[in-house]
Amino acid sequence: MEPLVTTTSSAATPVADEAVRLERVTKRYGAVVACDAVDLTLRRGAIHGVLGENGAGKSTLMKILIGLVTPDGGRVHIHGQQCDIDDPATAAKLGIGMVHQHFSLVDPLTVWENVALGEEARLRPAQVRTRVAEISEKYGLGIDPDATVGDLTPGLRQRVEIIKCLRRDPSIVIFDEPTSVLTPEESAQLFTTLRRVVADEGRAVALVSHKLDEVLHATDEITIMRSGRVVDRTPTAGTTPSDLAKAMVGRSVSLRSERAAFGAVAATDTVTLEEVAAPDGPVVLTVTESRLRGRDGDIKLDGLSVRVRAGEILGVAGVEGNGQDELVEVLSSLARLDSGEVTVSGSPVVTGRAGAMAAAGVAVIPADRHDSGVVLDMSIAENLVLVEPSQVAARGLMDPGRMRAHATRLIDEYEIACPGPDAPMWSLSGGNQQRVVLARELSCEPVVLVAAQPTRGLDVGAIEFMGSQIRAAAERGVAVLLISSELEELLELSHRIIVLSDGQIAGEMQRDEVDMDRLGLLMGGSAA
Amino acid sequence: MIAVVSEFFDVLGSDAAWKSAVAITAVLLFGASGEWAAERAGTLNISVEGMLLAGAFGAVVGYSLTERATVGLLFGIAAGFSVAFVQAEMSHRLTADQFVVGLALNILVLGLSGFLDGEIGPTARRLPTNDIPLLSDIPLVGEAFFGQSWLMYLIYPLPVIVWWLVYRTRWGLEVRAVGENPQSADVSGIDVNKRRRQSIYLAGLTSGMGGAYLSLAVVGTFTDSIVGGRGFIAIAAVIFGGWTLRGTILGCALFGSVVSFRLSLPALGYSLNSEMLTAAPFIVTILGMAVFAHRVRAPEALTRPFVRGLR
Amino acid sequence: MSVDADTSVAGPTTVTPTSPQVPSRFSSWSEIVVLYAISIFGALAISALLVTVTGGEWRSVFSALLDGSLLAPGRWGTTIGSATPLLLVALGTIVNAKAGYVNIGQEGQLLIGGGAAAFVGVHLGGPGPIVFVAIVLAGIVGGALWAGIAAGLRNWRGVPEVLTTLLLVSVASQVIGLGFRSESFLLAPITEGSGTQVSQTLQMPDGVRIPRITIFGNEFPVSVFAAVVFAALLALVLTRTVVGFRLRMLGANARTAMRSGVDSVRVGSAAMLISGGFAGLAGTVMLLGGDFGGYRFSPGFSINFGWTGLLVALVARERALAAVAVSFVFASLMTGSGFLAATGVERRITDVVQALLVLALLIPPAVLFVRTRRRAAAAREART
Repeated sequence: MEPLVTTTSSAATPVADEAVRLERVTKRYGAVVACDAVDLTLRRGAIHGVLGENGAGKSTLMKILIGLVTPDGGRVHIHGQQCDIDDPATAAKLGIGMVHQHFSLVDPLTVWENVALGEEARLRPAQVRTRVAEISEKYGLGIDPDATVGDLTPGLRQRVEIIKCLRRDPSIVIFDEPTSVLTPEESAQLFTTLRRVVADEGRAVALVSHKLDEVLHATDEITIMRSGRVVDRTPTAGTTPSDLAKAMVGRSVSLRSERAAFGAVAATDTVTLEEVAAPDGPVVLTVTESRLRGRDGDIKLDGLSVRVRAGEILGVAGVEGNGQDELVEVLSSLARLDSGEVTVSGSPVVTGRAGAMAAAGVAVIPADRHDSGVVLDMSIAENLVLVEPSQVAARGLMDPGRMRAHATRLIDEYEIACPGPDAPMWSLSGGNQQRVVLARELSCEPVVLVAAQPTRGLDVGAIEFMGSQIRAAAERGVAVLLISSELEELLELSHRIIVLSDGQIAGEMQRDEVDMDRLGLLMGGSAA
Repeated sequence: MIAVVSEFFDVLGSDAAWKSAVAITAVLLFGASGEWAAERAGTLNISVEGMLLAGAFGAVVGYSLTERATVGLLFGIAAGFSVAFVQAEMSHRLTADQFVVGLALNILVLGLSGFLDGEIGPTARRLPTNDIPLLSDIPLVGEAFFGQSWLMYLIYPLPVIVWWLVYRTRWGLEVRAVGENPQSADVSGIDVNKRRRQSIYLAGLTSGMGGAYLSLAVVGTFTDSIVGGRGFIAIAAVIFGGWTLRGTILGCALFGSVVSFRLSLPALGYSLNSEMLTAAPFIVTILGMAVFAHRVRAPEALTRPFVRGLR
Repeated sequence: MSVDADTSVAGPTTVTPTSPQVPSRFSSWSEIVVLYAISIFGALAISALLVTVTGGEWRSVFSALLDGSLLAPGRWGTTIGSATPLLLVALGTIVNAKAGYVNIGQEGQLLIGGGAAAFVGVHLGGPGPIVFVAIVLAGIVGGALWAGIAAGLRNWRGVPEVLTTLLLVSVASQVIGLGFRSESFLLAPITEGSGTQVSQTLQMPDGVRIPRITIFGNEFPVSVFAAVVFAALLALVLTRTVVGFRLRMLGANARTAMRSGVDSVRVGSAAMLISGGFAGLAGTVMLLGGDFGGYRFSPGFSINFGWTGLLVALVARERALAAVAVSFVFASLMTGSGFLAATGVERRITDVVQALLVLALLIPPAVLFVRTRRRAAAAREART
């Protein structure tokens, strides 16, 4: 496919404002090529978007830059010098910093202690505290240096991450999928911060994302990756979402669902969703006045009441941390309500009792499948019968023949790519693991399906597949509760959307009356 | 019941009882200070028992070779360190199960020290006391705290040094990070297993000191039962203390007194239920954990091994 | 995903990734064998060195060991007698390990179980077979309850069971010591003519002793057959039954298990009780088998069999059938050491050899595990 805009080839003389130049960088994992002769240049004073769907290779590329992965081929030039980045410490010395999505903060420690982690000089608390205050001022990231990180909200924790990164005064800053935990308002604030970071001393900033509109709004130039290769480079001005989408996927994108996957719905789009008859089946799932306090005493569910009809897809919007996780935990029998009731098909179900929800016919695709969806150390076949081993057992004895047949059938039906039913779960890709979860849950013929962030981290094909499966389930009469922080996905699939904020419903809309502005406001916590 | 109380006060009034209580507390604290740091890093080292024993044996060997307590101390520290080294390498480089390694090491040190003791037969003599003038004249407790061998006086600065290491240095910050969230620490550029190994080395050093003190200054000779489970009591003290150093010191003092109480009673002509007293430290620790479970918090990653790329 | 040059044709983009590289479960047989060979050789070499350095003749020590454990007549019988309780403890350990609970208190559970069994044996009158059953039950229940304390504390107060089981070992020996304070518990009355009262129980009467048989000149109690059968049953339960499946689920991922109907508290506590029960049974078998203490229980009766049984389970990588073999290996080492003492060679060397072997046997699986997981993690990373 022809790139839309031709750029100067990388063989040209290095430009003075070049901070990072990756030259034909390659990384292989066995037969899989994660990065294939990638050429990428980050310029000083510019925000560079690295756009690609999940699995395109952008994360691996960044891991190479930050020293967590060593490339098999190609060269890396930092400020014109060729370098070998062997570990995070070397990357730090070269002036490369990354704001991680997760896994970089230690909860029981304070903000300043976390910021100080990973350096090598003597520990000087007063100095660190001052620096934290300085950076916080400069970039508009208000934070208390002595606060315990574990007590902070996701938005504030990200600030700590940013301060931690900026403390070392890096000349190159990488932001890895930063907006997944932020409200739209916080995202806008983040982009302002990005501008300041870049303007200051001409830093080079890379914004890694799979979201089209984010990249369109925040960057100066974009590199698009697909299947490990760079397929296009373009200045942001003058590019349209459909151009980008096309480059990302390799063909014209017309189906709504795919566009939804790329966050291609701008706030100004007039949303005209297809007409779908509102389901009028019996109410299958009711949650009444549910209240739940978290381990630290915070209110997680604040009298939340929900009703889902058979055949209905109820979308639950809202930024993470507003009670979605707890709701899913209750429906997974992993948490007990302090007060309130859950009924399925008219009968109340005891919350917090192992397996009660599953027995009542509630299927769950959890947000974190490693946490409560799969058993990584068991085989695919075993994972497919976790909830109802009786499917393949007789008189308490499990029949290996039946188990294999059951597994083979589901592997076919759900197109799970694997060497065979006896392969261990940990050897599957994320998308395939998700298919296993889906297969297992649906094979129990549930009456309720709870899908929490079902397409997170999946590539386009898997996302499409999920979407069609969810729709098919609803058409069969299953009541679907779809929880997602991706608005577009919710818009595409739901009959009705509710917005969760602080453990309560902040607002509700029918499919045919969706107002994007209002949605954004509700998610941000303002009553509307 | 009244008899028990009067026995208790009799013991309290006995110089010898105080002296032995402080001595035993010191032994426990030598082991526990290092193990506290190691547990803050997320490791649990059953081999503290073996480290103490190795220290005791090494010290006697060193002393019998040179007739010098300093050399004995150094040999003891080296021996304790060697045990810690094996524990650290096997559990936090080769990822072998730390409990099995700990158990095996205890058996190994027990057998080895007994074997070598039989073959080589090192001899030692109980070290003289080094009384601190004036202070050691304080009635009742003076001798206990200030009238012991100089080896014991090492216990005064030691916890302070360990505390300073863990709370005031970068090394300590990293150790604490590693014990709470090794994944984050790793991403931040810290070598998780290296810090863990180093914390175990520290435990080996302090326990080696404790063993040396035990064999040279408290008992005066080596037998393979010289430690007799005190390593486990030291671990219990760390847990009892809620993984704080202050709590650990308190635990050692409490348990040390209980042990000494039991030992002093026969000399004073009583025979209280010695089984209850011997079991007391362990029962108290268990009860303490049960009662304070929700207030006290173990380091999040305690006993969980770390390999990059795994959850 | 090596896709051909941009010739992706129109059509549904069902991205079909190539089959993931699945590292085989066993990296390669040669890798495993070599690792074990090196480790074991290393352990033996260090032992030989120790013997030589202290003036002994390592050849004679090793041949004495070999003789004592395997070659001399009747040795197999002694070995079998030791292997049985070790195997039982190991089986119990496997149960709690599969459930994800850490039990390092088998020594204490064995003691309490043996003590309870001895108590019943000494004080309960009646027909032999009935008393026998009562004794065995008491032993099992004793051990189970001791482990149950730790399970209860974990599930109701959140105290890690690794710590409580460990601490309870010390408590157990004191409890047993208490039991020997009075004749109404364990202490045997002074026999006519002897001066002092020894800390031990009366002998278990004839009617309750485990029968012994002699095969090829080796005499041993028949309890070994029961133990091996248990091992086979456990292996079957774990791999083939729904109960075993659920147990393994719990140990592998407690939250997923909870979602699927496995109540962590109930199933986990049951696993701990079973584990303690096996240890208690081991103590009972030691008492009624006759190889230890002449059918008498005494303080220190357990002679580290609890610890060693735990080691057996861990060295056998928590596989029931492997545990059978490993328990025999450890037992023969013990038998050999007993023989060594009789010939005057320093007995402690076997403790050293045993510990070195355990350490050596820990290395290969650890190394292989890390390698396999690293390959898988790399394969997974390729997809991000």
